[in-house]
Amino acid sequence: MGTLSLGPDPRPMISLLKFAARILVILTLGGFLGATLVRLAPGYGVDQEELDFRLSSSSIQFLRQADSPNVSLFTFYARYMLGLLHGNLGYSRNLQEPVRQLLAERLPETLKSVTLALVLGWMAGLSLAMAAALARNGLLSAAASLLASIMLCIPAAVLALLFVDAQLPGRLVLALIVFPKIFQYARSLLNRSVALPHVLLAHARGAGGLRILLCHALPVAGPQLLALAGVSVSMAFAAAIPVEALCDLPGIGQLAWQAALGRDLVVLVNLTMIVTLVTVLANSAAELASRASRGGET
Amino acid sequence: MKPSFLRFLCVLFLVPLAARAQSAGHPANQLRFCITSQPKTFDPQLVTDDASETIRYLTGGVLVRLNRSTQQLEPALATSWQVDRSGRTIRFVLRHDIYFSDGTPFSAADVAWTMQRLMNPALHSPAGDAFRSGEGRVVTQVIGKDRIAVTFPRPVVGLARLFDQVAIMSASSPHGGMAVLGPYCLAKNKAGSWLLLKRNPHYWKRDTAGHPLPYIDSVRIDVEPNRDIEVLRFLHGDIDFINSVDAMDYDRLKARAPSTAIDAGPSLDSEQVWFNQVPGAPLPAYKKAWFASTDFRRAISESIDRQALARVVFRGHAHPAISWISPADKYWFNARLSPHPFDPHGALRLLAQDGFQLRNGALYDRGGHVVEFSVITNAGNLYREQMATMIQQDLAGIGIRLRIVTLDFASLIERITRTFDYEACLLGLVNDELDPDAQMNVWLSSAENHQWNPSQKTPATSWEAEIDRLMRAQASTSDLSRRKAEVDRVQEIVFEQEPFIYLVNKDALSAVSTRLRNVRPSVLRPQIYWNIDELWLDASGGGKR
Repeated sequence: MGTLSLGPDPRPMISLLKFAARILVILTLGGFLGATLVRLAPGYGVDQEELDFRLSSSSIQFLRQADSPNVSLFTFYARYMLGLLHGNLGYSRNLQEPVRQLLAERLPETLKSVTLALVLGWMAGLSLAMAAALARNGLLSAAASLLASIMLCIPAAVLALLFVDAQLPGRLVLALIVFPKIFQYARSLLNRSVALPHVLLAHARGAGGLRILLCHALPVAGPQLLALAGVSVSMAFAAAIPVEALCDLPGIGQLAWQAALGRDLVVLVNLTMIVTLVTVLANSAAELASRASRGGET
Repeated sequence: MKPSFLRFLCVLFLVPLAARAQSAGHPANQLRFCITSQPKTFDPQLVTDDASETIRYLTGGVLVRLNRSTQQLEPALATSWQVDRSGRTIRFVLRHDIYFSDGTPFSAADVAWTMQRLMNPALHSPAGDAFRSGEGRVVTQVIGKDRIAVTFPRPVVGLARLFDQVAIMSASSPHGGMAVLGPYCLAKNKAGSWLLLKRNPHYWKRDTAGHPLPYIDSVRIDVEPNRDIEVLRFLHGDIDFINSVDAMDYDRLKARAPSTAIDAGPSLDSEQVWFNQVPGAPLPAYKKAWFASTDFRRAISESIDRQALARVVFRGHAHPAISWISPADKYWFNARLSPHPFDPHGALRLLAQDGFQLRNGALYDRGGHVVEFSVITNAGNLYREQMATMIQQDLAGIGIRLRIVTLDFASLIERITRTFDYEACLLGLVNDELDPDAQMNVWLSSAENHQWNPSQKTPATSWEAEIDRLMRAQASTSDLSRRKAEVDRVQEIVFEQEPFIYLVNKDALSAVSTRLRNVRPSVLRPQIYWNIDELWLDASGGGKR
């Protein structure tokens, strides 16, 4: 998913319209590609209840007709988009509820998890990166690197299982997934910043560690850190799928997992579009903030 | 670095990690367990999946109930019943002063309405299909408020037993299908996450001391597709039982909490492998000829070490399968059949009769084709994957190369029911029915679930024609000894022809918390909570079950 470029257009309204149009195109394409993948996957429209030996031949035929896609992919998608314009997100075949209701119930749960993960992940990652960049001895830096490396090596699903086993809050898993990436990028950026000549000069003149960090290193690394913020949002959303599924968190990640297993096309298309929207908005917001912090340079 | 900054970092990491999961305080008298998926329907007549069946069992009131322990029918909403000589009509005498969960009175009119709806062909109810023995209308005759006769167009074997699956619905309740007669009623459904059932305040049953049943106030059912997580939650005491655990988890539970693991003995379920014999399947002609050969199928069967499958794959919690009826079904199993031998030399002799030759460790057919084929099974089922691997080794012993292909379940079903693009398939049959008549849709050659060659216009082989005749004959008489003789003969034909190569019958394994009392595990589903209204929770936990 690419980052949207707003361009150096001086007219803010036109820029905004262009931006909205691009988001719309990306969303439409993202949703359509998602629908295509699900629809073309082997076994779409097949129900395991067909193997129920109590069912008569006519009931099996009825099940097959009910499950089989009776319209083409393009027709399905056109109908879906038309419904979307009227606020109708469709009906979940597996959960037997309107998708709108499912999302309304589950989106806040995921937003809560992702927000907590981002806050904790960033606080931990950035704090350790700052500490590592400023530490005189390498012990803290090595320990933090080791911790981050371990976290990077453990797959999200395994981490989630460990948390379930230890009866720890599942939401923390997302924070532990975000943390090592933040730490590694932030440390590298801060290390580069503190090695710049003017920062070294400030250090030589006796400036305190915190002052160096806040006044010299962070402003230099700021734009890249803001870009990292955008990426971390997408990262947390992506990780929410296995984590919510395994830790029994009733968010949209769990919904996506169940929809994928049950080939629930309508739910999957909606979720694809939500994830696309979040990614595009987060990346664009990060880019905007990054530009603003650089004083509007392009 | 200042100590205060270090303290801040410590707090940042340790506080959240130390925070234990805030398990929402569970009500003391609430039973908790998991199902693997969201129920597809709450309409008791349209149940096709296990999750919906669970809800139907817990909420639906039935006229007669099969005692899963004694395997005998017991009165429920009907105090007595009688099937007439023709096997077409059943008469019920109903209980008085019974009310649905919403307070609507129950009467014979509700039974009539339920049966008419159930038997409506347009509804396509699996429970209704079980009653469908011939064309024609079902006639319900209400004989007063508490008596009803139901007449079917043709005799229905095991007629009374089928009513165990029929949840009576209200003909007049404003709440429609949500008004129930079972021990619980649905209070909340968080789709895909959990369901909450509350005690039905109008449930009819009382214990011997006259106390109203059920004892447990509410049932929380969590939707948990991951079996590993389910086991972890059980070990943490977060759920009270696991209705069906697999062999590996059973051993794990037995080691960690011996009193919670229950092996109720061989179940009715079986694992089997079959060859694709569909004439139009996209397979080379020489392979179709192999699969159609009885000698070939029997040779494959004889080269499989079923004892080893039971011992290694199922850790001793399974038994070599003999017939399509499990030995657990004591009445219908044909005890004259002896276990299939593990005899690779005998298998090679059978293959030689068909012109196969073993040369340099590889088997060749008459036309010089190397004998190799693939078996498909569902991905993620560790036991089937392990069985396939052991079969692969067994077949290598007679020079056959077996390729194992694991597929997502939906893709697998697509192949075995629509495209027929497969050579052999390894799958299981989940069975709850003691009466073999329930498997008519497997054994009739015209049936969709006649997996090796479904929906035949006329039987492809003489032995399939004979099975058709015998299955139809047993379905048309209520003479039990005659039916037994005919079903025994079908078992013998299947034993000889091996269209399905039966591998093992798994044991019914469960896990039950020691705080759940009055549990009487059964091999029939639902193994643990079939007597849900008599179960109770002991707050003190330990002790004997």
